Amino acid sequence: MRTLIQALSLLLFSTLFIFATYQLPDWLPADIYLRLDPLLGMNAVFAAREIIGRALWSLVTIGATLSIGRFFCAYVCPMGASIDFLDFLFFRKKKRLGLKTGTSLRRLKYFLLVIFIVAALTGFSLAFLMDPMSLLTRFYTFFIYPLVTTLINLLLDLLRPVFGALGWVALSHQHYFQSVYYMTAITLLIFGGIIFLNRLAPRFWCRYLCPLGAFLSFISPLGFFKRRVSQECNECLKCQKACPMGAVAEDPRGTRLPECIQCRTCAKVCPQKAITFPASVSLGGEYSQVDFSRRGFLYSLAGGLGVGFLAMRTPFALKQSKHPLIRPPGAIPETEFLRTCIRCGECMKSCLTNTLQPTLWESGFAGLWTPKMDPRLAPCDQNCNVCGKVCPTQAIRSLSLEEKTHAKVGTAVLRKEMCLVWAQNKICLICDEICPYNAIVFRPVEGYRRPVVVASKCNGCGFCEQRCPVQGESAIVVVANGEIRLREGSYIKEAKKLELEFRPDAGDDKFILEESGFKVEDKEKRNILPAEKTQPKKPKGFL
Amino acid sequence: MSGCKRGMTRRKFLKMAAAGTALGLVGKPSFSFAKEEYDLAVISGEPVAATNKALEAMGGISHFVKKGQRVVLKPNMSFSRTPEFATTTHPLVVATVAQACIEAGAQQVLVLDHTLHRAELCIERAGIREACKNIPGVHVLALQERKFFREIKIPQGKVLERVEVIKEVLDNPVLINIPVAKSHSATGVSLGIKGLMGLIWDRESFHSQYNINQAIADLGTVIKPQLTILDATRALASGGPGGPGEVKKPNLIIAGIDPVAVDSYGVSIVPWYGQNFKGRQVEHLLVAHQKGLGKIDTDQLKIFKEKV
Repeated sequence: MRTLIQALSLLLFSTLFIFATYQLPDWLPADIYLRLDPLLGMNAVFAAREIIGRALWSLVTIGATLSIGRFFCAYVCPMGASIDFLDFLFFRKKKRLGLKTGTSLRRLKYFLLVIFIVAALTGFSLAFLMDPMSLLTRFYTFFIYPLVTTLINLLLDLLRPVFGALGWVALSHQHYFQSVYYMTAITLLIFGGIIFLNRLAPRFWCRYLCPLGAFLSFISPLGFFKRRVSQECNECLKCQKACPMGAVAEDPRGTRLPECIQCRTCAKVCPQKAITFPASVSLGGEYSQVDFSRRGFLYSLAGGLGVGFLAMRTPFALKQSKHPLIRPPGAIPETEFLRTCIRCGECMKSCLTNTLQPTLWESGFAGLWTPKMDPRLAPCDQNCNVCGKVCPTQAIRSLSLEEKTHAKVGTAVLRKEMCLVWAQNKICLICDEICPYNAIVFRPVEGYRRPVVVASKCNGCGFCEQRCPVQGESAIVVVANGEIRLREGSYIKEAKKLELEFRPDAGDDKFILEESGFKVEDKEKRNILPAEKTQPKKPKGFL
Repeated sequence: MSGCKRGMTRRKFLKMAAAGTALGLVGKPSFSFAKEEYDLAVISGEPVAATNKALEAMGGISHFVKKGQRVVLKPNMSFSRTPEFATTTHPLVVATVAQACIEAGAQQVLVLDHTLHRAELCIERAGIREACKNIPGVHVLALQERKFFREIKIPQGKVLERVEVIKEVLDNPVLINIPVAKSHSATGVSLGIKGLMGLIWDRESFHSQYNINQAIADLGTVIKPQLTILDATRALASGGPGGPGEVKKPNLIIAGIDPVAVDSYGVSIVPWYGQNFKGRQVEHLLVAHQKGLGKIDTDQLKIFKEKV
């Protein structure tokens, strides 16, 4: 029964993950698991110092845990399900190295929780590092998703001749877009490490490390359902050995309530059928307290403050306007963005073009795994606004397409010394051709038609940078300059105020027919452009 | 030594195969049926009616498509823009031709383009798949993976010696080019011959490595559509090829066997960038004409004109 619910939960998590992509229906909260996570919610709310609507969903989890107990870990948590499943696959028959159940390791998760909460209070979002929802979504995004795509495409390639022979045209040309990400290996190592810890003890992660589990165990002893052992108990200690959480005390009649996830494994293995989980309102008891020391608390308090302090010691932390990264459209101002983003990777998974990539150290510890645009790899498509839709903390705001178009992420800058047209007089127009907003125009300069960026029409989508045929680095690059980052309010209004216009209109290609694109008096023109006799009077391609 | 020898034979084999394919394409007698009366059909009217009339004027689709043959239609659906931007071929024009091919007994009609924007977006926004979805045997595919392309040689190529082309185009299907009329900021206009660049893998080198006008003409010596149907129901008179730009409404369908003639006529229908031009003034058309790919002077053509 429990396994079934667990499997269904993991399936639901995976299905929602698949749905988090272009044209995600507005009514479908693909990020619901992340929203339900109270640790991520607290982390974002504390760090950003404001109430985040979607984070309020986590109150559901808190309420349920308060009334039922720490059931979340055993039934809902997809990370727990993954751990259980992989444990079954790899370590079922292995002899565990064994750890005494009463070890002080148990406290570790509480210390971590305190560190994360305190760090959040200093304005440093850190919980992402170990929060199970964030961790698993990241693992899915950076590892599972690209891997599955590869495998499916491989299968399609193998079957292509068969499909061709059968005349299944669409299938024989089927190919799924292969997303690629930086940091896939790191993400795999971390997840692999977590699984490998099961070699020491089952659910090692959940028992000793998971900060979400720590939070839930704080409030779980209040729940109605508690383990009760009847007189039938013959102290065979089978339950103690079987408990995946090490929640059965030295005396098997006792239960460490904060550790108990109500999986009922003990009841199943009990030969005397002495174990039940009745509803009860009793509180207290020697095992209901959270295993925590004052010294440990103080240490972790200091740890949290210290980490918060250290994380801000990067050259850019205090000068956020000078950060070099291109953030997704709708990303709130950089300081708030870093505080609110929980690094789940959902935006990068859902990104239609694969331009969103995780940040490594470019903006220090505080920017780890945050999404950035990599326009050389792919542009931001003007018909897609999914990254905001799936952001569980709205570090990227969910915007309408029209609003998103005006959420300027940067400005394209032409590097003339590399441009084929400027530097080599080649006939190249790819940036102009691909620009969705006609922000690149050709103007006659010193006898040649040269591409120029009209900054007020460029919203930084990056099509030009991606398509530039110059090898290696692009001759036209998007820089963060001119980005619009709003915590609230309309991007359209803001863009209007700044006299920006991102409209697919007819543009001013007529310039290429005029003698000069620059509106100067004839007299002055002669001074500015002395040798203009070779000025082409016709558009390129016409003789 | 033996390995080296085998390598040689394999290369030779490939060479011969490629040359054979190329020859097959080149050697197709596309100018040679007796009943041909007109070089061009220029029909004014609504997309469906005009397209049907144009096909009829060219002697009917069955002149080009025989029972059991495979057909490749090459519209322009390279940009994820809706039809009113005039950057892509009108979906109804494509659907009408596809329908006609099926009615003529075509075994299969593939509508192919190597899109510039993400394939699924182009498919979604250009509306061509939607328009063709109820015609059995018609498949609209936007291909963006190199594995769907195969390299061939261009024996007559001046700058372009080899090129990777969508495989299906190389298997001797009936190829019908259905470009949209638009301006192009490097080649002046992008009509039929230029549109064939949508069937190859590496377009970027045309811009960065070669003289694009010469390369287009070189490509025209190996990819030879049996029929070109220029969709000038709308024409993107500036801002092309990607748009957005000035959209004019000539309401014309121009069909012909000679690709240069169709394009050359297409140049004359609207002012491009506010100026009137003749086919001869478009460099890639002139080069193509000089390469023997077709007639460029429209006054020497027999043109069937009608309004429907």
